[in-house]
Order: sequence, then C-alpha cells, then structure tokens
Amino acid sequence: MGDNKLVGRNYTTPDLLAKVTGRAKYAEDFRVDGMLYARLLLSPLPHARVRSIDTSAAEAMPGVRAILRASDLPAPADVVTDLGERIAANPKGEQALSDEPLYAGEPVLAVAAVDEETAAAAIEAIEIDFEPLPFVVDPLVTLRPDGPNARTDGNCWGRPAGEPSAPIDVQVMKWASADFGEVDEGTLPEGEHQDEWAFGDLEAGFRDSAVVLDETFSTANNQHHVLEPRSALAYWRNGKLYMHTGTQSTVQTVASIARWMRLDVEDVVLITEYTGGGFGSRATGAVICTVPAVLSQMTGSPVMMRVSREEEQYIGGIRPALHGRVKAGFASDGRLLALDLFVVGENSAYEPQGDASFAGNIVSLLYQPRAMRSRATTVLTNTPPRRAQSQPGGMQGITIMEPVVSKAARELGIDQVDIRRVNAPVSKAPFGPAFGNNRAYCTSAFLREALDLGVELFDWETRKARSGRRNGSKVRGSGVSVSTFVAGSTGFDGLFVIKPDGKMYVQSGVGNLGTESFSDVHRVAAEMMGLPWEKVEVAWGDTSQNLPWTCVSGGSQTTHAMTRAAHAAASDAIAKAQEIAARALGGSPASYRIADEGITNGTRSMTLAEVARRAVELGGRYDGHELPDDINEFTTRSATALAGQGLMGVARDAYSRDGTTFSFVAGFAEVEVDVETGNYHIVDYMAVGDSGTIIHPRSYGGQILGRSILGMGHALAQKTVYDQHYGLPLATRMYQSRPPTILDIPRNMKWEAVNLPDPESPVGAKGIGEPPVAAGAAAILNALSAALGDDMFRRSPVTLDNILMALEHGRPMQEPLTAHI
Amino acid sequence: MAILHDVIPPFQLFQPSSLDEAAELLEAYGDDAWIIAGGMDSFDWLKDRTKRTEVVVELGQVPELQGIREVDGGLEIGAMTTLTDIAESAIINERFSVLAKAAGLVASPQIRHQGTIGGNVSQDTRCTYYRSGWTCYRAGGNTCYADTPTAVNREHAILNASRCVAVSPSDTAPALVALDAQMVIRRGSRERVVDAVDYFVGPDLDITRMTVLEHGDLLTSIRMPATWSGARFYFEKVRDREVWDFPLVNIASAVRESGGRIEEARVVVGAVAARPLRLRAVENALAGQLVNTQTIARAGELAIEGARPLRFNGYKVPLMRNLVQRAVRGGPVTGTA
Amino acid sequence: MSQDDEQTPRSEPTPVTRRTFIKGVIAGGVAVSSAAYLFRNSPLLTGRAARAGSVERLVTLSVNGQTRRVDVAPQETLANTLRYKLGLTGTKLGCDRAECGACTVLVDGVPRYACSVLTHTVRTREIQTIEGLAAADGTLHPVQQGVVEEQGFQCAYCMSGFIMAAVGFLNKNPEPTREELAHGVSGNLCRCQDYDKILTALERGAEISREVARG
Repeated sequence: MGDNKLVGRNYTTPDLLAKVTGRAKYAEDFRVDGMLYARLLLSPLPHARVRSIDTSAAEAMPGVRAILRASDLPAPADVVTDLGERIAANPKGEQALSDEPLYAGEPVLAVAAVDEETAAAAIEAIEIDFEPLPFVVDPLVTLRPDGPNARTDGNCWGRPAGEPSAPIDVQVMKWASADFGEVDEGTLPEGEHQDEWAFGDLEAGFRDSAVVLDETFSTANNQHHVLEPRSALAYWRNGKLYMHTGTQSTVQTVASIARWMRLDVEDVVLITEYTGGGFGSRATGAVICTVPAVLSQMTGSPVMMRVSREEEQYIGGIRPALHGRVKAGFASDGRLLALDLFVVGENSAYEPQGDASFAGNIVSLLYQPRAMRSRATTVLTNTPPRRAQSQPGGMQGITIMEPVVSKAARELGIDQVDIRRVNAPVSKAPFGPAFGNNRAYCTSAFLREALDLGVELFDWETRKARSGRRNGSKVRGSGVSVSTFVAGSTGFDGLFVIKPDGKMYVQSGVGNLGTESFSDVHRVAAEMMGLPWEKVEVAWGDTSQNLPWTCVSGGSQTTHAMTRAAHAAASDAIAKAQEIAARALGGSPASYRIADEGITNGTRSMTLAEVARRAVELGGRYDGHELPDDINEFTTRSATALAGQGLMGVARDAYSRDGTTFSFVAGFAEVEVDVETGNYHIVDYMAVGDSGTIIHPRSYGGQILGRSILGMGHALAQKTVYDQHYGLPLATRMYQSRPPTILDIPRNMKWEAVNLPDPESPVGAKGIGEPPVAAGAAAILNALSAALGDDMFRRSPVTLDNILMALEHGRPMQEPLTAHI
Repeated sequence: MAILHDVIPPFQLFQPSSLDEAAELLEAYGDDAWIIAGGMDSFDWLKDRTKRTEVVVELGQVPELQGIREVDGGLEIGAMTTLTDIAESAIINERFSVLAKAAGLVASPQIRHQGTIGGNVSQDTRCTYYRSGWTCYRAGGNTCYADTPTAVNREHAILNASRCVAVSPSDTAPALVALDAQMVIRRGSRERVVDAVDYFVGPDLDITRMTVLEHGDLLTSIRMPATWSGARFYFEKVRDREVWDFPLVNIASAVRESGGRIEEARVVVGAVAARPLRLRAVENALAGQLVNTQTIARAGELAIEGARPLRFNGYKVPLMRNLVQRAVRGGPVTGTA
Repeated sequence: MSQDDEQTPRSEPTPVTRRTFIKGVIAGGVAVSSAAYLFRNSPLLTGRAARAGSVERLVTLSVNGQTRRVDVAPQETLANTLRYKLGLTGTKLGCDRAECGACTVLVDGVPRYACSVLTHTVRTREIQTIEGLAAADGTLHPVQQGVVEEQGFQCAYCMSGFIMAAVGFLNKNPEPTREELAHGVSGNLCRCQDYDKILTALERGAEISREVARG
C-alpha cells in the first residue's frame, strides 16, 4: 500500500473528542433511575470456610435490599466450542463469590442497598464465623514435603496419568527434601514437574560450548492495576440483561456473561464504549459482574457495583511470578547451542495461568537455541487470581533469560547487540517443541533489522563506551534486550455497509480499552473502498448495535486479525460493486476498479452512493439479505439486522497463513546509578519494533513506548508484598506496590519501526501490545549489570536497597527465592 | 485485613472560623474530636474504616493558622500553611531553604497544594501493618507484627526501636528539627511552646502517639529562630519512586562554617526511627572540624553506631551513613575515585 | 516480640495452628462480627440529630461558572458530589486515595484531588472540571486541542485529571520545559503508561495556549 491516504497515516480517532471533553462514559459513570448500590465483603483470611453467617442485623437495616451469597449465583455453564465440543465447567474454578475463600481479599458476599453508606454499614453488621484452614503463599514452601497446600485437596492442577482429555482437577505435588539442597544459595531446585518438551541434542550442545552458565532468576508478582476498576451496572428489561462494564472485547464478553448467567447470548446486551485499560485482565469481562446482575434480578432494581481500588487489586488480576533456572551453553561466537530451562510458576488457588509453560516457547523463538529442554511447573498459593498480563509468560521468560545472555557476552568478550543478533530468529524461524521432525514457526521475523536500526539511532557505540565508568557517585550503563510475543490471530469477521448517502458505516466489534484498534483496523477497509475518513462512521461498544464476531483485544492479536477481516469484508464489497457496475453499465466485473469514491472501468463510472442504492434494489447478497455460510452466528445475527440498507461488505477472514504471527522488539536503555544511595534512574530508552505494516503511527508509538514502560515498572520497583506467616498482603496501596510515575521514566523516549510487511497477511500488519514489555524490563536490567557488573542481583524488580547492599557486600544480599518480599 | 475498607462513615463536621472557636470545640469534644488540616493522613484512616470518629473539626477557615510572618529575624509559619506555599515562599527559600526543599519533595503537587506543614509534621506513621489495621502495640494491642523473623520490614526502624519499629515518615520534620524550630500548641485558652526535637515522641515514651499532641491540643504555628538563617543547608530524600512515596531515609542538615571549619551543625535523619533523629554525637564531633575526608567519614560512622537492622531494612545502615556524609560534604562524592 | 520466637527458616512451612492467626481476629471459632476486625470501633452513627454548630447540608457551589445548589453530607468528598449529585462524571475515581490523580479538578485554579477534598471546604471557591474547559460553542480549550492534535492518551481514564492538572500548572507556568511540565503533572498516574505521548500532547497544548494568549 504505497500511496496510502489512510493506512500508515495519523488521524484523530472517533472517540477522542468525547474523551477529551469528559463526555465519554465508562461503566461507573452511568446512572439509572432507582439504582441500588452494591458493595462486597472480602475475606480477611487467606484460606477459610464460612461455618455460619448471621445477616439478620444487616437485613433489618432500613435501606438494605438484598444480600447475595455464593449459593445465589448460577453455576457456570460448560463452554461449547464452534465445533460443538463441550468443555465442562470447572467446579473448582474462580467464581464471583465464595464460601471457602482461597485468598485474603476474596469476595464472600455482596450487599445491595439504597446507598453505599448503608451497604457498608450492613456489611459490618454481618456476623461471619470463619473456620481457618491451612494456607500457603510461597510456591517453594508448598512444594516442600511438609509444606501446606493452598486447597484442602492439593496444590496444583493436573490430569490423571494417561488421560490427556480428562478434565483438570486438583492434585498434590511435593518435592523431596533433598531437592532443596541449594535453595538458600539461590539455586532453584529442579524437582518433579508437569510439562516438558525438548528438541535437539542438549548434551552435545553443552559439550560444544565455550561458556556454560547455570543461573537462577526470579520475577515478581505484579498487579495489572488497570486505572478503571471493574465496576459494573446491571439491569433487566424485557427479559434481557443489560450490562455496563469495562472489557477488552464486545461480543466475546457477551458470550462470557451468557455462560456465567446461563442465558442465551441474544438475551445479553453489553454497553462498553470506553474501558479504562485491560492489559489482559478482562479479556472477556470479569465474573464479578454477575454480582450486580443477580442482585438486580433479586431486587427488581438496577444495581451499580462500584469496585474500589483495593478490591481491584484483589480481583483485578496479577501477573504470576516465575522462578527460572537457566543452564545455557554458548559457542565462542555467542551462538546458543544448548538451553535447559526449568520454570516454577506461582498461581492462585484457581485456574492455572499458562505463564510458566509458555515462557519456554517464547524463549525458544527469541534465541533459536540449537537444542533445548523446557520444563515447567505451576503450583497454587492462597493469593489472588493470576490473569494474563501483557506478554504473559514471555515477559518473565525473557527477563529470566536476558541476564544470562548478557553475562555470556561479557565472558566471551562479545558485544551485547551482536550476541542477540547472532541468535535472532530470521524469516520463518522455528519455536516450541518438535512433533516428529517438525516444529512450529513464525510467519516472519525482522529482529536483526530492528537491532541494527536501534544501534544506529540509540548511538549504541558511544553509550557502550561509557558503561561502567565511575563519575563521582554516579556510574552509567547501557543495555539492550530483545523481545517477542504472538501478534495475530485469524478467522474473524468484518462487517460494514455503504449506504446511499455515500458513507461507510462500520460495525466494530473491537473493545475500546485504549489501543485505538477499534477504529484503526477499519482504515484498511476505507482505504480499499477509496473513501476519505470523513465519510466513515464507526459504531462500537454497544452490542445492540449489530457487531460482528471479533477477536478479543488480548494477545496482541487485534491489529492482525481485524485488518484481515476488514480486508476480507472490503474485498467482498468490491467484488459486489464490480458486479453491480457491470450490470448497470456493461462490460465485465473484472474491468471495474475503485477510484474517487466510486467504481469505474475507465470510460464508465458509478459513485459508491449509486452502487449502494442499486444494492438495495437488487437485494440478495448485495445488501445482506443473503449471507456467506462461513461467518460466525454473531455476525449472521448482526448482518441480518442491517440488511437492506446499502452495499454490505461482510466476510470471514479465510486468508491462508503459513506460520504463527509474532512481533519483535529491540529495547535499548541507559541507566545511571548513584552508588551512595543505590538509587538509579533511566537516562534514555528507545524501542524498535518489527510489527509488519504500521497502520496508525501515533497509536503504535503509544503502544511500543507505553508497554516498554510497563516492563520498566517490573524492573524498577513494582511488586506484590505478603507477610508469609499470616498469608496477608502488605502492599495494598499504590504507594506500596509502586507502578511507575511520569518522573520514573526518561523524559524523551524514542521509537522506530522496521515497517516491513508480514508476508502472511494481505495487509501485512501485526500487533504490538505485548512484545515491548520484556524489552523495557530487561533492557533496564542489562543496563544495570553493564554499570555495576554481573551477579549484583538475581531477581526483579531491582530496587535501591538491593543495589546498595550488593555494593556494600560484593554480592546480592536479597533473599533469592522467597516469594512476595 | 479485608472485610470492607471503603466508604467513609458519616461524621459531624465543624468548621470553626477562629482559633478560639476551634480550641473550644476541641475542649468540648475531647476524645471524640478528630482534627482535619489538609486531610491527607486522616482520609486514609477514615476511608479505610480502620479508625472512626464521631466529630471532625476542620481548620480551613481559621485565619490565625494561616500565613508566614517575620518575627525577630526568624519566621512564624501558621500550621495550616500549605506545603506548596512553603516550597514557593520567597522568604523561606532565601533564609531557610532546607525547609522549602523538604516541603517541595512531599508526595505530589496536588497533595502539596492541600497538605499543610502542621499536618505533615504531626502525621501518623506509615507502618503497613499498623495502617492496615493489625492490632499492634501502637493500636492498643500487645505485639508488634513488623519486628518478627517473618515480617516484611523493609521500611522500618534501624535505631531507637522500643517494641515498636515504625518510623517517622515526615519530610519537613527533620528540616524543622535542624532549624531549631519551635512548635506552638494551644490547649483551651493556654499556649505552650515545645522545641521541635521534643515535639516527636518515641515508643519508649508513648507507643501510641507520634507527637506530644493529645486530644484537645492544637498545633497553631511553627517558629524558626534566626539562628540558622542563611546557613549551609543540605536536604535529601531517598525513596523508590520520584512521586508519592514516603522517604526510605531522609536527611536535613544546617551547618555554620567559617574559614573552612565547622562552627556548629545540626544533622537530623528521618525514617530511621520513630522520631526524626537529631544526631548530637555527630554534631559534637563536627564542631570545630575542617570539612575533609576524615571528618566526613567519621561523621558517617558515628551516625550509625548502635543501628540494629531487621530482616529487610539492613540497607538503611549504609544509606544513613552515606547521607550523613553527603550532608557534611555538601553533596555526593566527586571525582573518579 | 510476637508469639513466634522461633527462627523460621525462609523456605520452611510454618505449622498452622490457631495461634498463627492474628489475635483479636478469630478466637477459637466463635462467631465474630465482621466489625471486630477493626480497632477503635466507634458506634456507627445512625439517625443522630446534628449537633449545634455542625455544617448545614444544603450548600451552594460554584462549578464551571454556574451556581449549583446541592445537599452535601459532611463526610462527602468533592469527587462524589461532582459525580453523583451534579452529573459531572468527567472527573474519575481511579483510587479514591490521592495516589492516581484521575479525580484532579481546579479549585480557585489550583489542581486538587477531588477525592480528598471535603465538599464543605470548597463552598466559597470556584471549582472547574473537565466539562468546564471547552467554550459554550464547543471550542476546545488549548490543552484539549493539543491532546487532539497529538492523539494523546490511550484508554483516557486518566485524561481528565491530567488535563486539569496541566491547565492549572500552565496558568502559573505558561512556558515550561518538557522537564518542568512533567513535574507539573507528576501527580497523575497513567497505567497505559502513555506518558511520553501525553507529555508531547500537553506541550502542544501549552504552545497553543501561548498562541491564543498572544492573540
């Protein structure tokens, strides 16, 4: 798309004016007549069973309308896939409320009242007898032979041996005492594990290596802390449930709500035009929204449930901490010949997050080891639910791996960029386990190009030269990190109508959580239809507005998936327009092409407005009365409702794709450490991305730098803190958990994109939401070790106390493997 | 601990329009009255429902508590003066810049526009156990949750602990102690003046309070004598993030020199003990000394004598030592040594 | 010291007994009121008559240049009054604890966290919210215009707070460097971490403000 008018150019998204004037309404901004207010009662204990509850005093309070218990909620329904496969609901999975809370802060019950003061007073008047149960908040503690388990029936999820399609259930995993021999020195034990895969000859790889390293590194748990809590407003009208809540998708959230509430999808309307952040924590909504839904049913009134910041940090999601043991062998040119990765992932007591398992996949792609073994185990603790957070598993795996690569480069006397360059994936590079002789591979990789661009733009050589040089109390260091993550899915639907007014009315099913993809992806369709953006109207955020089946805005998939869907829908409209033109004006359809808001064969033309009018007259496929067979039922319903209004472009993305889509980022950072205080700041940072074709530069820049900063937070100071003895959280405020502020990052950050199209997509665009995270985190860590030397820290975040103590004592003094400190 | 930590419970609100009226209200309501200045400390307790009150006496309309006045070459600052006003005050920057700098580093701009110096020096500790409502000594219980083998006590005290290991979180407090400030307290119709260093209370004296203020007392103003006007000042606040965070360690110092020799010094370190610590041993050792490598090193070593680190706050020992050295030196170490 | 005098090695489990729970929280499985988890528990006020001298509930506020008459409880914060009683939901609640800035409004031109202002303390002040920035005919304030031109912000939940903080700051510092501007809005948190683009947008807003001032 060389002479693009829209794709690749900046523009003002259709939501910006509402946002900038304060008119944009997020979930808790809505008001409905007769609205009641719901508040939650949270468990004070890390694991307990409710023996009895006396709500009589609360019920007697004037203004209290209903009290909701776990037993009042519908049991979640099974999931039925597109292929008719039934996946049974997990009876031990996370629910909105629980009579056996499995973490401190878990919602136990809810009260609906005429105002929040009454609801709060009622909660305090409820008498609960809790039976305390054994608890644990450290994955290595539960793995000990006599360590407590997070659940009464075990501390991990698994299937019975030899039954790969049995539902998962709680099991017990214990390591032997002997396994823990070196744990106090910071060496991660390698006991029994759940997942394992391998390829290549590991032994030969180590044998051939010039340098072999055996390192342990741990990352921290980190709350998503989306700025808008997952408050929800629910009410019922004519048998339909109306839900206002923040989410990262639209129709897929409707599917979730329907499943949680045991409703038909047609009986759920979701209003979610504006969501204050997601980062993976509410891909298809949050189950807590069933609380106001059921309370509304019970009371006959609309119910607004405001979730406080403290509640949000409990139910809002946490990225799991991973402990990683890396044994890596490098050739003298830096080539990674053997990689033996062992990962222990911490989980809540609920559904397992796949971070520990996925870490190995990501690392295998990013560093292309000649031989690799990946072993992973995930264990349960009595801490809040883990949810995917931007680059789940990948961020942690890369953060664990990067210090090893840096150390190897120093021992081999190789430049830090060069060692990552020599190991970088190229073209259709393999990743993950082997299936026979085959391995999966990515669709494209231009990481080397990204590194080369960064070296030049970041002035790498100059900064490298001053790394480690002491100047008064200050010492600087520069580091580089590479990163990758999946960046595109396929198979979703595009839908729009060009009406006789000559305008394109796009139905956008993309969630509006700040990525701007809800609008950006449709620029492709507008470009193909030759329309100026002023002639495009985007409907989004309200599922009663006939939205098509759309991907979730998670996993960085939207830009790729929905530009393909937009391309498919536009191709469909163009083909129809060609047929209409041929019928009206003569000649063959193929002789017609789009130009100047119309369609022409060089001698005869029609405007798109006229084409639209003709489409309505002709009916059938042209105006949506007949629809393709392969679109999703959601799209079919929506398209049917829109039939007869103009020229309809509707199609499923059925384009082929050879490989799995990944995006790549190279991050470059310079830090300055004050050796008298241990404090450091990031002097400069730059990110270079390979995400294929860039659709909207400003939006891309916001993502690549914004997500880099998310990663920086993981390196700088952000983490959870628990008192292990009591199983209770200590960092319950943001001044304690420490998400980065505007003053914690460099003042002028830069980004660049390689901008080479991905060959496996007609648009060539890939996502960017996640790959920058590890680049931001690990570039900082690598810059620190460039400033201070290797072996100064072995876990992240690295805070001033860690650095000062390491400088004082010549070695890392922070407890290496204790969780939540 | 959870259950419910939100929705501020109702209270009666009084907004006296004079100092006399404020004093009368406090006398009348005694233990039931809660003073709100900027509210930044109070709201955290009240919104979390961890502490309650029936009556709030809000001081925003009491004119006698406002203003910065010159008095005998020194200054008198009304307790309700905002931190922004102090940070931006021309006269404070000219004569007592250490206080202006300290005030300018508190929290965030919006908090400084509203938070007051009186509130900042009188604020309660930020020990996370205590703030979360655990029933410790300070809360009237009979244990300390932070001083155990398993507690996470990264931000707690390394000096002068006495059953309680909480620290003073104020940034302006060390500066005021360094300036030999005096706190003017009204009770009923009587007024008393307390030296800043004695305004703060350690757990050995009273484990439930951070200052000498009792129910019925009202801090009305803070006086700074001319003594340290124009001295060589140093202030540094070390914290994790550059905004919002309380100090991990902070330091305020005032030094009078002549001919390269220190005549007299004040060195006060905060967030290492329950009170801002005036390091008299260091001050005595500095008197009459040249500012050279030995003096600087000695000051640092003296400062941390007797420090008792807990499991997670050992870094405060070298940090305090290095900050004291910086204060004496006048800045970070220079050169490539 | 607490009851746990034994040294607990770091990765060893602690045997779970009743003693390992906080004193005063649970006692031998007896039913406990949830309010017992709190200390200094005062009797909750229900239906008590107002004492002499306490504030009148009905107040007049000046918001965005308009006089608004509203019933305000003594403990009510400005954020709650704006959002729930005056229908001005542009001011957001991100944390309600003065540590995110999403609720920033101007009180007599000074940026304040509305969540931490008792409405009764601003009865005589001029309050300005995001809704009061644009002109009656819809012309955007220069800072809003800067945001539009640079596509500032992502999810925009923090946007109102940032813009109000910037407007308040620029009124006193019309020509800041990028560093000074960052300090000016340092009391605002963005979780999408759009800080770099936000600063560029606010810088553009400052530039437009100066252009408008020059006429």
